Amino acid sequence: MTFMYIGKDFTPPDAMGKITGQARYAEDFRKAGMVFARLLTSPVPSGIVRNIDATEALRMDGVVGILTADDLPAAPRPGVPALSNELTYVGQPILALVAISEQIAENALERIKLDIERRPFVVDPLASLTAGGPDAYPEGNVMSRTADGMALKSLKWSPDAVEAFRNGSDPGDVEYTTEWSYGDLDAAFAECSVIVEEPFVTAGYPHHSLEPRTCMSYWENGRCYFHGSLQSQSAANAPLARMLGIELEDLCFINETTGGGFGSRIGPYPFMAISGYLSRNLNRPVQVRITREEEFFIGSARSGMQGWIKAGLKPDGRVAAVDVIIVNDGGSSGSGSGASSAGAISVVYQPTAMRFRGVSVFTNTTPRGAQRGPGQNEMHAVLAPIMDKAANQLGMDRLAFRRLNAPDNNAKVEANQGPVTSAYMREAIDMGSELFDWPTRVNQPRRNGSKVIGVGVGMAYHGAGNNGFDGIVRIGPDGKIYLHTGVGNLGTYSYAATVRAAAEVLQCRWDNCEIVRGNSDFGLPHSSGQGGSNTIFTHTRSNWVAAQDAVTKLKEIAAAELGGTIEDYSIGEERVFKTATPTEGLTYAEAAQRAITMGGRYSGAEYPDDINELTALAVQRIAGSGLIGVAKDNLEKNGTAPGLAIGFAEIELDLDTGKYDIRDYLGVAECGTVVHPKGLSHGMNGGGVWGMGMAGFERHVYDPQNGLPANVGLYQSKPPTFLDVPVSMRHSAVNIADPQTPIGARGIGEPAMGCAAAAVMSAIADALGGHLFNRTPVTPDMIIDHVAQNTYNNKSLKINTF
Amino acid sequence: MPSHDVMPDIELYQPVQVEDALALATRLAERGWLLGGGQDTYGWLKDRAKVPEAMIDLNGIESLRGIRETADGIEIGALTTLTELVNNPLIKERYSLLASAAEKVASPQIRNVGTIAGNVAQDVRCWYYRRGLSCYRAGGNLCYADTPEGMNREHAIFGASRCVAVTPSDTAPALVALEASMVIRSESGERVVAAEDFFIGPNVDIRNTTVLRPGEILTSVRLPATWANATFYFEKVADRNAWDFALVSIAAVMRESGGVIQDARFVAGAVQCTPRRLLDVESAVRGQPRTEATAQTLGTLASQGAQPLNHNGFKLHLVDSLAKRALIG
Amino acid sequence: MNPRLTRRHFIKGVIYSSAAAMSGAGLYLANAQSRPAAAVERLISINVNGRTRRVDVLPQETLAHTLRYKLELTGTKLGCNRGECGACTVLIDDVTNYACSTLTHSVKLRVVTTVEGLQSPDGQLHPVQQAFLDELGPQCGFCTPGQVVATVALLKTNPKPTREQARQALSGNLCRCGAYDHYLNGVMRASGQLS
Repeated sequence: MTFMYIGKDFTPPDAMGKITGQARYAEDFRKAGMVFARLLTSPVPSGIVRNIDATEALRMDGVVGILTADDLPAAPRPGVPALSNELTYVGQPILALVAISEQIAENALERIKLDIERRPFVVDPLASLTAGGPDAYPEGNVMSRTADGMALKSLKWSPDAVEAFRNGSDPGDVEYTTEWSYGDLDAAFAECSVIVEEPFVTAGYPHHSLEPRTCMSYWENGRCYFHGSLQSQSAANAPLARMLGIELEDLCFINETTGGGFGSRIGPYPFMAISGYLSRNLNRPVQVRITREEEFFIGSARSGMQGWIKAGLKPDGRVAAVDVIIVNDGGSSGSGSGASSAGAISVVYQPTAMRFRGVSVFTNTTPRGAQRGPGQNEMHAVLAPIMDKAANQLGMDRLAFRRLNAPDNNAKVEANQGPVTSAYMREAIDMGSELFDWPTRVNQPRRNGSKVIGVGVGMAYHGAGNNGFDGIVRIGPDGKIYLHTGVGNLGTYSYAATVRAAAEVLQCRWDNCEIVRGNSDFGLPHSSGQGGSNTIFTHTRSNWVAAQDAVTKLKEIAAAELGGTIEDYSIGEERVFKTATPTEGLTYAEAAQRAITMGGRYSGAEYPDDINELTALAVQRIAGSGLIGVAKDNLEKNGTAPGLAIGFAEIELDLDTGKYDIRDYLGVAECGTVVHPKGLSHGMNGGGVWGMGMAGFERHVYDPQNGLPANVGLYQSKPPTFLDVPVSMRHSAVNIADPQTPIGARGIGEPAMGCAAAAVMSAIADALGGHLFNRTPVTPDMIIDHVAQNTYNNKSLKINTF
Repeated sequence: MPSHDVMPDIELYQPVQVEDALALATRLAERGWLLGGGQDTYGWLKDRAKVPEAMIDLNGIESLRGIRETADGIEIGALTTLTELVNNPLIKERYSLLASAAEKVASPQIRNVGTIAGNVAQDVRCWYYRRGLSCYRAGGNLCYADTPEGMNREHAIFGASRCVAVTPSDTAPALVALEASMVIRSESGERVVAAEDFFIGPNVDIRNTTVLRPGEILTSVRLPATWANATFYFEKVADRNAWDFALVSIAAVMRESGGVIQDARFVAGAVQCTPRRLLDVESAVRGQPRTEATAQTLGTLASQGAQPLNHNGFKLHLVDSLAKRALIG
Repeated sequence: MNPRLTRRHFIKGVIYSSAAAMSGAGLYLANAQSRPAAAVERLISINVNGRTRRVDVLPQETLAHTLRYKLELTGTKLGCNRGECGACTVLIDDVTNYACSTLTHSVKLRVVTTVEGLQSPDGQLHPVQQAFLDELGPQCGFCTPGQVVATVALLKTNPKPTREQARQALSGNLCRCGAYDHYLNGVMRASGQLS
């Protein structure tokens, strides 16, 4: 298909504000009479707040209020309460104090006296799983299904089982909370000529989005106006309205620009209740800005994994069987992604039989949530060298091994072994092999003094497309095309890339289009959250169907005006005209004027029954202002839309210092049609940087003696800088359309990271002659300890530690 | 636990004469805080972990700026920024070791304002201490890092004495190697202290990493001609290549003649609370050629006597490797 | 009223015996005690983006605070407020500084340029801004003003930097989105080395 806009670069309208400093993030909004809240957070990893003595603080000049957990509706527990008297990690918000300035609020926090009763705590999931070990909550350490739903319970393994697991074995007859399998595992292993069995650990770590999350809200005439920092726009409205206990139409959610999210800001987070409630209670605008340290505490984090894997290869190199056990470090929210981790293995290596057993254990560390490829990316990273080992044992080239097992259009996905919409991973591998010149790289001389070259390859998968959301386009009587989007602005430009699908359908000039976004009062359709690599697929579809609806209406209006049926009409150059006699027709502006006059479904006075309530409210807001195209995406989709990527890395590792330079990095995307080349470049390169952070730098460190986090700030958390990634990065894309979506595009944000992490891990192992650290990240001290043959024990499955 | 990032109320003085600054420093004593580039100041103050009453901003004192030639070497004003050190022709020409070290500090913005005095006087980076815990160094009676389960990857392998924090300065090992001397003024006069004696460990003073006392101002750093244009080697190994502190660093100066090393000074950073002279290494290389063979004879001399904690054993191998690399260049 | 908000018992955590972290007792001496004379005047003039601005500045106030909250120049971002990220990078006499870690009182006699001061008076983008726009430098954009300002400073002293020199110069500006490659493309374009 030849497109006007798809596959072509453009300048997203928000880019100008970003380079001039005019782009507004939540904290940049001020409102007359605004007051400032600051948080008091837990100094202990586990305990109960018995008393809060705020007498002195509240007496201070300029202090105007306080909010504690007792002032908020009871939060479900365990969970991630906005404020809490039950303390389950250091840094957990206890209360918010409000003053006329941030400084007064901070000063007043010092005057508050807390009476905290300490409880036992734990920072290592396996320590908690061990019989007699502490539980992060009084009722237990895992969630388990009961007759009444999910509830906490204390799950323990025998010390022998834990010890076996720590030493790299299947712990045997122990209890898990999640299990799935497909195929005949024993039979599949029986066919294998190579079987590898390895333990592994991946570290959890904070998102540390560069913008510390901020909320500012105020109430007018019973409506709440809420400035937030979310990845998503429309996906915020319903849950945020529920959180505030108001009707959907009484919430105006404003979020023009967000300073990164990476999964930590997909939907409203509980913290947002604080400004919402305080502004209502105090009847004045309230802003809550948090510190970088608090962004570490409440900004979410990746779950860590302690695991065991056994994988078998048939003599021809096919992966026949995979058996995997994952203990997730769920932090105080208990969130783990073990099933997704295992699912990703099923996609990338297509084993004929597989089993997953897992348990996500609560620890007294920060709450965990989705982080760029949650579960999948760390699995890809830690698994790459293990699979390399298996391929090497079979005497197979690592890339050829991956190509043999790569997902194609017949690929099966995860536990239910469902189909994919399409998959062209072999094409990606071939493209990457050529661009990276894999054969030459692997055969080059490797050692030069203390320096040794490592060459690595890694693949990654994440589900990358959803469906069933709504689109709105509006043609104004001024002839302009208003592309309404409920997609948030998290920095991927997908809000702009996806509305180009509507411009494509309407065949209108891009510079005659205006993107309407960032404020729910502007009339924005119900949209997916901007997480899970799904927006490109999901919202090219919703924009496509909305624009198709507009085209149909254009033709109906023209037919009503000029005679004939809609089949007699075509569109082009912002006119709807008779195909046979193109001079007979209406401009879009004229048609929009007629739509307003005709009313009904043309003007938005009526709308389809199947659209979401939020979309209906949006249409009501804009009804009568032009020709309204509105529709729900009911297009066919059978199967999982996969986002797939392969990364290639060459490193030069210094055996003296344990440091390595990534001399070359190439990522190849298999994401269907490329919609926005520069956006793809950002996704692949930015994902690459994230992958390098996972492979080499980022991790939680907690002192098990006191539950304190060791690396809270940015310089301690060590996200990669300009100097920690290659001076140039490369990427490419297969660019074959997915047949199950109109423009053929799928998402890529998450695999873009996983393939890089995996490639770097693979390269490290390759540089060290196949040595497996079996953990992420691999830091210089670990490499030195290996080289120096220090007794670094990578089989103890230690986590949250150096 | 409040998490702060707003500056607390504190007074600010901006003297333009060093005498006025000294008078203020004397009058305020422990209640005052000398301000150079401020890059190891605002964090402490924002955290309320240090609570001085007033900052004495030295930046207006012109006499503390500049790099001058002296009869025997050069003198670097205390307020000379790290960026100025990197770009200064005299330093680059004669004491490039110091420029190499200064260039590795944190980030360009920090080097643009961070001063030589501030870089050597900065406090340790032990994360327990920086979190505001009541450890020995903070006036308490325990060390959180030096325990069987302490998170002490960055900590000392030498010279522990209750506290196991290490020197975080990149320039300090270079100054010790170059036999710099530190000019310290107070209202009662001036004293000049060898860099090697300027830095003090917890065995001497557990609250301070230098000999500077309230009322004193480090006014300049002198580099003698002794090591001008010698053979230099500096390397810093840190996790990140920007904005990070050394896991181990090395600064070495060598004088060669007739194909062998006449004299040398090897100094390691981040292995103990002060820059550590590697005396055994220095002895071993004197009279030897700078060759791989000599390097091999160094073996584990650099790490001899180290007492690693549970997470920093890698520093032994690293300091040994760096000593060898420094020799060969 | 909240039932937990009335009593006064306070158990110090064992590990927090310094009290500094929890109780706050005695921490505000600076407020309470009289100070020596001759401290700074609060009402000062600072030169920002070519304009002299008269501002009431607290002694401890950071430049980022003054810019954002008193002069409404919110392009200077606070990512960490600790001098660890670079989102607040501004030029002081053409040199990059972390505005979060600079006292406003220290810039009285100096020239401050923020991202808002880069465009020409007629609104034309600075060449660095134009190049960053052309290369689509930003992702989330939060670090972008700092990246732009750091690049402007670099090109003043080194109009044709290599890519390696450029990344060294920008290395104090963290980009969590990992848009480094795009920013470096922007630097190369701004310096006329990329067509």
